[in-house]
Amino acid sequence: MNIMRLAGLAVALVVSLLFAVFVGDQGPWYFAWVVGTVMIILIAGAGAILLDAQDEQTSEKEI
Amino acid sequence: MELINPDVVDLSRFQFALTALYHFMFVPLTLGLTFMLAAMETVYVVTGRQIYKDMAQFWGKLFGINFAIGVATGITMEFEFGTNWSMYSRFFGDMFGTPLAIEGLMAFFMESTFVGLMFFGWDRLSRPAHLAITYLVALGSNLSALWILVANASMNMPDGAHFDPDTMRMQFDSVVKVIFNPDAQAKFVHTSVAGYVSAAMFVMGISAFYILRGQHKAFAARSFRMAALFGIISTVAVITLGDVLGRLDYEHQPTKIAAIEGLWHTSKPPYEPWLAFALPDDARQENHLEIGVPFVLTPLVAHSFDTPITGMTELEEQAGPRIASGIQALAALRRYGQAHDPADLAQFRAHEADMGFGFLAMRHAPGQDVSALSAAQMDEVVRQTEPDILPNVFVTFWSFRIMVFLSLWFFAVFALSAYVSLTNRLERNRLLLKLCMWSIPLPILATEFGWITAEAGRQPWTVFNRLPTFLSASSHGIGYMIFSLAGFALLYSTFIAAELFLMFKYARLGPDHGAHGAQGPHLTVAHDRKDAFSVASSLSS
Ligand code: HEM
Repeated sequence: MNIMRLAGLAVALVVSLLFAVFVGDQGPWYFAWVVGTVMIILIAGAGAILLDAQDEQTSEKEI
Repeated sequence: MELINPDVVDLSRFQFALTALYHFMFVPLTLGLTFMLAAMETVYVVTGRQIYKDMAQFWGKLFGINFAIGVATGITMEFEFGTNWSMYSRFFGDMFGTPLAIEGLMAFFMESTFVGLMFFGWDRLSRPAHLAITYLVALGSNLSALWILVANASMNMPDGAHFDPDTMRMQFDSVVKVIFNPDAQAKFVHTSVAGYVSAAMFVMGISAFYILRGQHKAFAARSFRMAALFGIISTVAVITLGDVLGRLDYEHQPTKIAAIEGLWHTSKPPYEPWLAFALPDDARQENHLEIGVPFVLTPLVAHSFDTPITGMTELEEQAGPRIASGIQALAALRRYGQAHDPADLAQFRAHEADMGFGFLAMRHAPGQDVSALSAAQMDEVVRQTEPDILPNVFVTFWSFRIMVFLSLWFFAVFALSAYVSLTNRLERNRLLLKLCMWSIPLPILATEFGWITAEAGRQPWTVFNRLPTFLSASSHGIGYMIFSLAGFALLYSTFIAAELFLMFKYARLGPDHGAHGAQGPHLTVAHDRKDAFSVASSLSS
């Protein structure tokens, strides 16, 4: 099972790399969109998690 | 050949503009909210905190209303190509039809299937599986937009096709060229990210409303923070891609960029000012009341300090020889159509690049026939056709400026909001919160003006430099056009009214209604959603 999962991940990695090389070459703005969208999602998510941490810090101080 | 009644052409244009602009009141939220939902759900899956699930469900409910009412409004446009733009469809259908068909498949199979799973799969799918579905919804809705923008870009920059003199239509050469057309890429990213800006402002504005009222504090603070960060990066991206589009227009659609900048005469770098205000006078070909910022235009448009940008007067003069050459192309094409003589074909090929300008001249030729003009008639027709190459400068100039000024406003609002949220001082900045609330419709407005810039700026062409708009329409009666126009206006206004009613209703009710109701979270959310769907579907049936 683990080997299957590893093989699956390896295939996904190779496909992603090939995709990145092809799209980055042919369509730089499409590529920028893929990378940029992931980045926007991660930054927005990180902002929310930071708020959780800030809230916890505040409530610890109050205690 | 008899030309289509110009009033019918204008009514067809008006009808298309109306349906497209109505449709695009719904699209940006779909493009952006889906990725925002994906971001919220990602945090839920990573942290396991219920509040992020509530967020994904509540904003998902508002997305559902928008999707249910808005999704069908685009279909009419696909039919309009056949009913109102049959000449265009005949000439350019090969190029345009392919991406449009793929869009239909994407929208109706991928997007709609996964939307169903996203709404009703909360209790039936594992967390990662549901998250994957939400990402597929986001990807599906943006990929549908991709094909529309690929199709639109092929009208602005017709790469990957050639004209076939035997079938008298443009024929598809290379799918790779069509999909990877630089204009398609920039248009797609600009429009998709404009959707992100719209969704971010929507979520931020409604969250600001809750914070102002002291309601749903933890929920609103998190939604606000995520939206502010989502919005500020998206705004930077939309501006960057706007610059790319301007540069592409400069390289490939000089009349559009000159109209956008209100540039009647070739610029004098590096001093040439960028006009922040002017009243372009199309009839007299000059601007009134110009207020400009010196030294900005050349680097902004040409990305250099010493490249002159050709003005509209000079573009008109340069068009003269192309119009004459286009007339020769059409004359040779006509002879080739009658006798199939290779010499005529060779002559046509020599002038083929200017064929569109020959079409443009038809309006001014006696009997609309450019193939048998005397030398004197030719000069007269060329002279009369030259001003026709320009779009409506006032409309193009101002729609572009409204879009750009609004983007500066978004930048300021998102930057300030992100800062105030990150430093946990939201509740003390009531003015900012109110501004966020009132800014909710502005990105949609910017999007509408973006489309006006793109489409009005491309005139007088449907396919740039190839097919004029006045030759693209169908020959309907005026009564039919007015009747269908009134029908669409009435129907679409009802959709907008229903959308606004439901959005206000459910936004006011807030996340507690449904998400934490007595019947348990998911049941009530599903119940409310069905409510929204049933109102929408009863309206559209
Ligand atoms: C400084 C900021 C911006 C610049 C320089 C800019 C530039 C442009 C240009 C040049 C076009 C015409 C493209 C063509 O030739 O077809 C365009 C179209 C458009 N813009 Fe913008 N834009 C800006 C901001 C925005 C914002 C804030 C939005 C919406 C939130 C927006 C939405 C659109 C849309 C929907 C279109 C039509 C689709 C397309 O052609 O890409 N733009 N923009």
